[in-house]
Amino acid sequence: MNLMLFGPELYYLGIALVFFCLSLRRVPQVQLDYQIALGLSGVGVLLTAYCLFQQGDLFFKAYRVDLFSQIFKFALALGLFLVLTISHNLAQIEERYHAEFYLFLTTTTIGMMMLVSSVELLTIYVSLELSSYSLYILVPLRRGDGIDVEAGIKYLFIGAVSSGFMLFGLSYIFGATGTTYLSEIMPRLSQLVQSPVGLVGLLLTMAGFFFKLSVFPFHFWAPDVYQGAANQVTTFIATASKAAAVALLLRLAALGTAYGYGFTQALVVLSIASMTLGNLVAIIQRDFKRMLAYSSIAHAGYFLMGVLTMQESGYIGSIYYALAYLVMNFTVFMVLSEVATDGRDLKIAELAGLHRRSPLLSMSLILGIFALAGVPPSIGFTGKLLIFTSAMNQGYFWLVLIGAVNGTVSLYYYLKVIYAAYFIDDPGLPPVKLSLPIRLLNYAMAAIIIGFGVFPDRIVELAKAAVKSVL
Amino acid sequence: MLLAPPLGLLILLFLKEEQKFLIRAVSLVSAGITLGLAIFTFVTYDKALGGLQFVEKYEWVKTFGITYFVGVEGLNAPLLLLTGIVIFTGVLTMWELQERVKEYFIWMLALVTGVFGVFMSYDMFFFFLFYEIAVVPMYILILVWGSTRKEYAAMKLTLYLMAGSGLIIPGILLLYSTSGLYTFNMLQLHAAHFSPWIQKVAFIMLFFGFGVLAAVWPFHTWSPVGHVAAPTAVSMLHAGVLMKLGSFAILRVAMFLCPEGFQYWAQLMALLATTGIVYGVFVGLAQTDLKYVIGYSSVSHMGIVCLGLATGTVDGLNGSVFQMFAHGIMTALFFSSVGYIYDRTHTRDIHELGGFSKIMPVASAFFITAALCGAGVPGMASFWAELLVFIATFKVFPVQALLAIAALVVGALFALRVVQNSFFNAPNPKFVHFEDVSPFLGLPRMILIGALFLFGFFPQFMVSMIKTSVVPFLQGM
Repeated sequence: MNLMLFGPELYYLGIALVFFCLSLRRVPQVQLDYQIALGLSGVGVLLTAYCLFQQGDLFFKAYRVDLFSQIFKFALALGLFLVLTISHNLAQIEERYHAEFYLFLTTTTIGMMMLVSSVELLTIYVSLELSSYSLYILVPLRRGDGIDVEAGIKYLFIGAVSSGFMLFGLSYIFGATGTTYLSEIMPRLSQLVQSPVGLVGLLLTMAGFFFKLSVFPFHFWAPDVYQGAANQVTTFIATASKAAAVALLLRLAALGTAYGYGFTQALVVLSIASMTLGNLVAIIQRDFKRMLAYSSIAHAGYFLMGVLTMQESGYIGSIYYALAYLVMNFTVFMVLSEVATDGRDLKIAELAGLHRRSPLLSMSLILGIFALAGVPPSIGFTGKLLIFTSAMNQGYFWLVLIGAVNGTVSLYYYLKVIYAAYFIDDPGLPPVKLSLPIRLLNYAMAAIIIGFGVFPDRIVELAKAAVKSVL
Repeated sequence: MLLAPPLGLLILLFLKEEQKFLIRAVSLVSAGITLGLAIFTFVTYDKALGGLQFVEKYEWVKTFGITYFVGVEGLNAPLLLLTGIVIFTGVLTMWELQERVKEYFIWMLALVTGVFGVFMSYDMFFFFLFYEIAVVPMYILILVWGSTRKEYAAMKLTLYLMAGSGLIIPGILLLYSTSGLYTFNMLQLHAAHFSPWIQKVAFIMLFFGFGVLAAVWPFHTWSPVGHVAAPTAVSMLHAGVLMKLGSFAILRVAMFLCPEGFQYWAQLMALLATTGIVYGVFVGLAQTDLKYVIGYSSVSHMGIVCLGLATGTVDGLNGSVFQMFAHGIMTALFFSSVGYIYDRTHTRDIHELGGFSKIMPVASAFFITAALCGAGVPGMASFWAELLVFIATFKVFPVQALLAIAALVVGALFALRVVQNSFFNAPNPKFVHFEDVSPFLGLPRMILIGALFLFGFFPQFMVSMIKTSVVPFLQGM
């Protein structure tokens, strides 16, 4: 067995151990912990990048390492690193819990890394739970006035229910096919096209990931958790966690190819419901994070649109968009957490005068928001276009039309954010001070958003190579 | 040409807000280079050879058939020239801007990059990409530097245009996926021969989608409000150039790719265009704000463009493209002079201005020239353009032509009354102390007037250029 195949996971396990030891100290050393976390996760990004082209099977073929999984592992490592870069100021988390904060962020990352490599149902379930349980702890870690507890309980309950759905679905699939390996399930399911057992099982199994992606009707947790959790935790849930969910949905949806119409129609309905509901409700939100929660529900609809094409081009679009979403959503959250230095929940109106308080942040905000809205020349636009193109190629004319109309609707609330930042001015609000690393991060994010939006070819080719191992 | 504005934009990003003169200078230089290159392409374009020239083509995303494909032909060369002139004079016009200068010019150059891109792209992906780049900065430009109900106007304009995009994307993708070629290259798609049903659906979606930007009645309501709210140079760019993107896109994408769809919907196009002409004229008459007057006259002039397109004949298209050019220059002149007057007096009310010509003879002369051009006085560029369109329309849609001409004649009479009321009545004593335009600030307006007369006296320059590609264009349909 080649150790490098499991290298990233082992490495992050090592980080988790380090922080476990650090969390045992009686006197917390906040600054030191932060530097260790940032340094270690930075090395982790390089390591996953180095492992990008590893190939192989592990653990009785329950665990596959290929380009598809490695791309997402890289994304997860990057997500963790980015979240840590904005964690220099964990105002809302008690100091003695800082080491635990890093510990659980690392374990959830390990869980998700294992998740994207799993090709066996039980491994998938165990990895999913590993990542979920860490998040269940992270959400109520915030020092709050009860809202954190509400968020935590809601997240736990809805997560548990969707886990239940998923187990139920897994039992159907296992019962119908007699195996837990995805590669063996695929041919056996196609023999069962006549009976609905496989279809129901598959959809129920996917429910676990609908929950993570906050697809309608598993979206109820999103607004409260986004608002209730500490800004950094929300950032992680909104970026890395979504990427992992998309990866697994792509893997599982490939099983449904045999079911054709019935299966895709179910996804079409979910996709339309998600994006319409998310966009319409987002319009009336005043809290920035709640608005972003509804925007993530709407984006879940776009992701599903790529998934349900069941075609190479749609999968490419989804992978591209998942990576793009990670970057652009992070950019917005970065602005949010830099403006809300004391870790409070930010109202959209509190962005007032940002163009004066910090021109750099307001530039990042504009780019991030326009990218989320799908305005060119940003990665958000290119990703959306790739997904729409593949959906149209499969003949989903109405779906694309509804998606495009939704894009218009969403622009309204995205513009309200820009309106607040650019137009309203509140002289009472002080300038926002940025440290040098954060400045560099701003420039890097802006360059990525524009650069890969205009030159998407490299990513598309990479995604194309990755998709081969899934479909 | 496509590179100059983004380069200027990049330099601007690294300048400080305090270095106002440097910021303006950099913008002016990049606009000047753009204008120079536009003139260069216009003059050196080989009319005898025709077709696509100055082509640049790179493979962009192979998997999805996206190529970077830009070029110049007779249809877009005049519009490139127009954009060059308007951006150059636009930067000069905004020379006096004091507030948030850096951001202003950054957004303005971004917008211009988009405009050039749309005019030159032959790949639908890039066409749409640039289209949006041109449209989106408007929101911020109006919101921050605008006047008169700017929040409402900015939001309305953006939502209208984005709703248009909501129709355009599915329309474009429908053509892309039904062609079976998996390419966004328009020239290849043109050869794909879509089924009539697809063409009809796609055409109407694209027509309405782009029609929003071209202010086709009944989707025009954002346009007067937007023009009024926008700062001067943005009004110039917007009415002068951006609206042309809409009509140009109808020509380049909708008519080019769906000829049968066009035949099917031509009647409707003509009807909407005529309604727009008549409506624009009569609503414009009732306005007392000079910018509203211009805004509604734009609606009617864009109606003429659309009417020319609807005829689908050589003369009609010639006139239509010519009208895009002439109207662009003319409206830029309009807004430029009104902007100047407004900056001084803070009013645009016709009656309040009274006999403004006695106070600022030169500034008023600019406006009056534009008004005469709008009324279609011979010797100006738009005279020839309108003439061509109406000749063509009489052959194809006689009733609509008659209605439109009648409306324009009435409009011309009333335009003269507007001029009389605001410039030749008794002067308003409040404004007596104002000084007239300085030669430097007058320069942009002089350039615009020069262009109007140049192509008014030598329309053959323009018509022969447009013809080189209109004829093959129609044969291709």
